[in-house]
Amino acid sequence: MTKKKRKETSVIVESSKSTLISRRKVIKIGAMASAALALGIFPGRVVKAAAAPNAPKNPKQMGFIYDQGKCVACRVCQAACKDANNWEEGTEWRRVYIGEKTGDFLSISCNHCDNPACATVCPVRAYTKRDKDGIVIQDREKCVGCKYCMYACPYHAPQFSDDTGRISKCHFCFERQDNGEKPACAERCPTGALSYGELSKLQQTQGVVTRIDGLPSAELTRPSWVIIPKA
Amino acid sequence: MAVRGGIFKMHWHWLIVIYLFLGGLGAGAYLTSFAAEKGWLGKDSSLSRAGYFIAAPVVAFGTVLLVFDLGQGLHKPWLLIRLLSNFSSVMTWGVYILSAFIMVGLLKGYFAFIKKSAPKLLSWAGAILALATGAYTGLLLSVVEAVPFWNSGLMPVLFVTSALSTGLSVTSLLAPWLEKGNFKEGREGEAHIYLIGAELIIVAIFFGMMNSGVYGAVGQESAELLISGVYALIFWGYFIGLGLLFPLVVFMIPYLRSKQAVKQLAKGPSVAEREVAATVQKEHHNSYLTIATDISVIIGGFALRAIIILAALPIWDGITIP
Repeated sequence: MTKKKRKETSVIVESSKSTLISRRKVIKIGAMASAALALGIFPGRVVKAAAAPNAPKNPKQMGFIYDQGKCVACRVCQAACKDANNWEEGTEWRRVYIGEKTGDFLSISCNHCDNPACATVCPVRAYTKRDKDGIVIQDREKCVGCKYCMYACPYHAPQFSDDTGRISKCHFCFERQDNGEKPACAERCPTGALSYGELSKLQQTQGVVTRIDGLPSAELTRPSWVIIPKA
Repeated sequence: MAVRGGIFKMHWHWLIVIYLFLGGLGAGAYLTSFAAEKGWLGKDSSLSRAGYFIAAPVVAFGTVLLVFDLGQGLHKPWLLIRLLSNFSSVMTWGVYILSAFIMVGLLKGYFAFIKKSAPKLLSWAGAILALATGAYTGLLLSVVEAVPFWNSGLMPVLFVTSALSTGLSVTSLLAPWLEKGNFKEGREGEAHIYLIGAELIIVAIFFGMMNSGVYGAVGQESAELLISGVYALIFWGYFIGLGLLFPLVVFMIPYLRSKQAVKQLAKGPSVAEREVAATVQKEHHNSYLTIATDISVIIGGFALRAIIILAALPIWDGITIP
């Protein structure tokens, strides 16, 4: 940096002698310096992010907690979600999977990621991440149905309805939460396998992970959920 | 895992393939005529107008197709204005780039039509926007981290190269018909060789990396779908065979022959030999073989867009867990 500064001052001295060329030089060196600065800052940020992979950017970020051992795949969470949110034809906001080899279960909806890929790629800004609690809400009235988010989301949360020609997805029952109620899925889960809360607190639960086998790396979008894997 | 039973979720279909292909074709056509106008394709090239005529209409047609593909394109078209609103979305960038290119391209086409030279700024703006259009079609895919096969920095490079190659071919096809009697061939053959050569190298690196697992197991699986899987015919037959190898051979032969002729001229020029050298290039553009080759390049370019969309396996299929 000091070398560059010295160079810049020498250029300014030069510029008093011959105007045109040295002005160009100043611009060139300025651009180079700012590029170096930008490059210098960027890797620093990346390293910082990697050092603490789990802490959400927003301390009030809400998330799901799913206990694989308690789940019995009764699909009440799915039914509750469908009832509460009137799924559009062909969409499944919450899905329950049964492992092909392990036989373990997984209930998944939207993970309201720290880095929501859907919101990044959506050309019409149909997605917003609330400051209040980090919930990612998609406004289907704004959706043009380009399906870019369906490729971007590693968890297949955005769902397209051929019927309505637009995307919709889990919004964490934000209206219910605003009224002090629980999300429908968590409220109705009979075994207590699916629950929710402030992510930073959920992360302190014993034995939680952010990813199980077969699912994408949590580094991709930093999902706001934790799983207690089946022992 | 993802293709078990031949089922995985494909969200984009043929309209998107055509859109990506036409975006590249139009951009490449503009850049071909731009290069010809600048004299980069030789002094005698007659390609300096045809590309300008078709560039903007081709891209505009592709864009209209995209609108048809949108769930709300015909339903609530007023929503489309918001496509300009998210500056973090590559698709939004694309809307700006394509709109600007279509407008500049139409203007430049008009100047070419009235046979007046356009302002230098306009021609250059068009060229930069054409390059941006070609790169955008690849960048749109390469930023999607959840599709490992797309998530490569080589994608825009590959798409731009293919855009130039197909654009050169479509312009070469139209120019003789447009310029009728006074058609002259420049160094198009040579340009073809460089572009196809570059594309082959990029494809080799791209598939080498995908296949060796640099982009993870799913990227590898995508590559396998093309190299030895269900899409092997489109990949080897249409893209590699028709699109790259066949044209490379066809363009190489007259190139090598003219080189040889020049060599002989240097040894001891006779009138007869000079004539041979002069006619080698001329017979080139007239032949049905050249027409077939240009069509073949265009088919290859289309096949490339098709295989890239077809083999887009998501990082997690969203259907199964182990």
